[in-house]
Amino acid sequence: MRFRRVTIACALAVLAVYGLLIVSLFYFLDLSAVWQALSSKRVLFSVQLSLVAATAATAIALALAIPAAYALSRHDFRGREVVDAILEFPVIVSPAALGAIILIFFSNPLGAWIQDHTIQFVFAFAGIVLAQFIAVLGIAVRFLKSAFDQVPPRYEMVARTLGASPLRAFLTISLPLARRGLLASGVLTWAKALGEFGATIMVAGTMAMRTETLPIAIYMRLANADIKGTVALIIVLLAIGLSALYVGKLLFRERHA
Amino acid sequence: MPNSSAAKAMLELADVCAQVGAFRLKNISLEVAEGLNHVLLGPSGAGKSTLLETIIGLRPLTAGKVLLQGRDMAGLPTEKRGMGYMPQRLDLFPHLTVRENILYGPRSRRLKPAEYEPVVRGLVEATGIGPLLERRPDTLSGGERQRVALVRALAARPRLLLLDEPFGALNESLRHELWRLLLDLQKQHGFAVLMITHDLAEGFFIGDHVSVLIDGEIKQSGDRETVWRSPATLAVAEYLGIRNLFAGKVTRCDGEEVVVDCPSLGGEVLVTKRSGVAEPVVGEEIHLGIRAEFVALRNQDHPPKPGELVLQGEFTGLTVAGTDVTLIFKLAHGQAVLEIAVNRRLLRRFGIRVGEPVTVGLARRDLLLFTH
Repeated sequence: MRFRRVTIACALAVLAVYGLLIVSLFYFLDLSAVWQALSSKRVLFSVQLSLVAATAATAIALALAIPAAYALSRHDFRGREVVDAILEFPVIVSPAALGAIILIFFSNPLGAWIQDHTIQFVFAFAGIVLAQFIAVLGIAVRFLKSAFDQVPPRYEMVARTLGASPLRAFLTISLPLARRGLLASGVLTWAKALGEFGATIMVAGTMAMRTETLPIAIYMRLANADIKGTVALIIVLLAIGLSALYVGKLLFRERHA
Repeated sequence: MPNSSAAKAMLELADVCAQVGAFRLKNISLEVAEGLNHVLLGPSGAGKSTLLETIIGLRPLTAGKVLLQGRDMAGLPTEKRGMGYMPQRLDLFPHLTVRENILYGPRSRRLKPAEYEPVVRGLVEATGIGPLLERRPDTLSGGERQRVALVRALAARPRLLLLDEPFGALNESLRHELWRLLLDLQKQHGFAVLMITHDLAEGFFIGDHVSVLIDGEIKQSGDRETVWRSPATLAVAEYLGIRNLFAGKVTRCDGEEVVVDCPSLGGEVLVTKRSGVAEPVVGEEIHLGIRAEFVALRNQDHPPKPGELVLQGEFTGLTVAGTDVTLIFKLAHGQAVLEIAVNRRLLRRFGIRVGEPVTVGLARRDLLLFTH
């Protein structure tokens, strides 16, 4: 019983840590500042930019992460351990260092060639998407691998014995059975991309109406000692993030109904 | 019983070897004849499931050949082998309805509805799962799930059905019902069956042909009557439930007869040689065995028959399991303890009581000799 109480106390402490920080925002909350922020062209641009960039980065990350996670979950191959270890790379290096590494890459001959002959990344929209993509890719693979690990491989084996190709077994058995984890992974990846700051600011800069995402806008307000404006934007970011999680849960419930 | 040797081979395994971790399947050779049942018996860990997964292509061969209707399956992926498979855990797809589960095979094999619909309709009717078609697997009972899995495995009309201990988790009467259903479906559709099981009753009910797999090796293969009546080795005999086993030494080999000195049975015992079993030599240490079912109770109304080995002793105990009764018989002049299988009616007829003297008879033809 004592152990049970201790563990529950720890769970409530987690809530207290984050809850206290969120509640403390209300000390500086000014509804008129929130309204002002929501009607500001610059803020609306940041919101739109953040939503579009996070969605694009998540889509690209998932397109690569789903098959990669499936391979890590199901197959033994040379280099598997290294791939598994590298997933933590964005977590180990700080986001700012990650951004610096991307910048350094575009300063070397290969990066410079890519920028000259394909798309401009540095200080551009593509740079935001790239920074977010790189920041979330590892964690997306990690989340998705856990989702596939939950699906027993024997279902796919049976599907194969019934005449399904490996691709059909994946599409008709593994993907639908992992849908709960896939949806959760998608939402969490998107939320992480939305809140990405360090790598984005290093690669894309802080140009208003060009590369100023919501987290960067928050940073800029704080740098100008505009506490009320900072709180207003944090509330907007929080509302978007929580709405995404809620919609994700609704979608999941509908699919299960 | 159909004559398996006359039928063409549906499946042939030629010196198949496979490895899973430290475990190895060693030179497995067997044949499943068209339209017949081959049961692979063996204790847990003998390699039965590994062998089935190797045949269907889920595990690689390290040597040997798997031939389906004479065609080498080497390099052919699982989905192209055209074998039906029913795994031990059934593994019905939980997110699909019963109908979708059943149609998964024909659709994956891109059969036209005209090709599979009559077959599926027939299977659904024969198994009585019509009312379940729109339900999900998690709402079905154990017996219903088995039926659905069986129909799913057969829906794409495989010529060979591989069954991995499919009826293990059911109660006795349901299992008997499903065994009969399987044999009825086989009669209607003409597919061959390779089934693995550790359940002797199931194996000898279903198998036209029986093989015994122990420690990754086939120890005996033959028609069910031969394997049941005449286990080839001591290990097979022990696995097949022969518990009346006694050590002895060959003292004389005379034509078809062997004389064995068996102290625990009170002296010399005359045994008839068996075909297909290693020839005993004088002086060789051997084991004698007899099935508990073949030990005959004797009294004034049922006197010993000519040539029977007659033993005097007493019953020291009995165990009752449903209608089956096992008597424990202790020899008066020897150390042997025999198990005798009877039924309740026989128990009443002989008026058997624990502690009373009794006579039993062992027919020479039922005594099995196992060389080492």
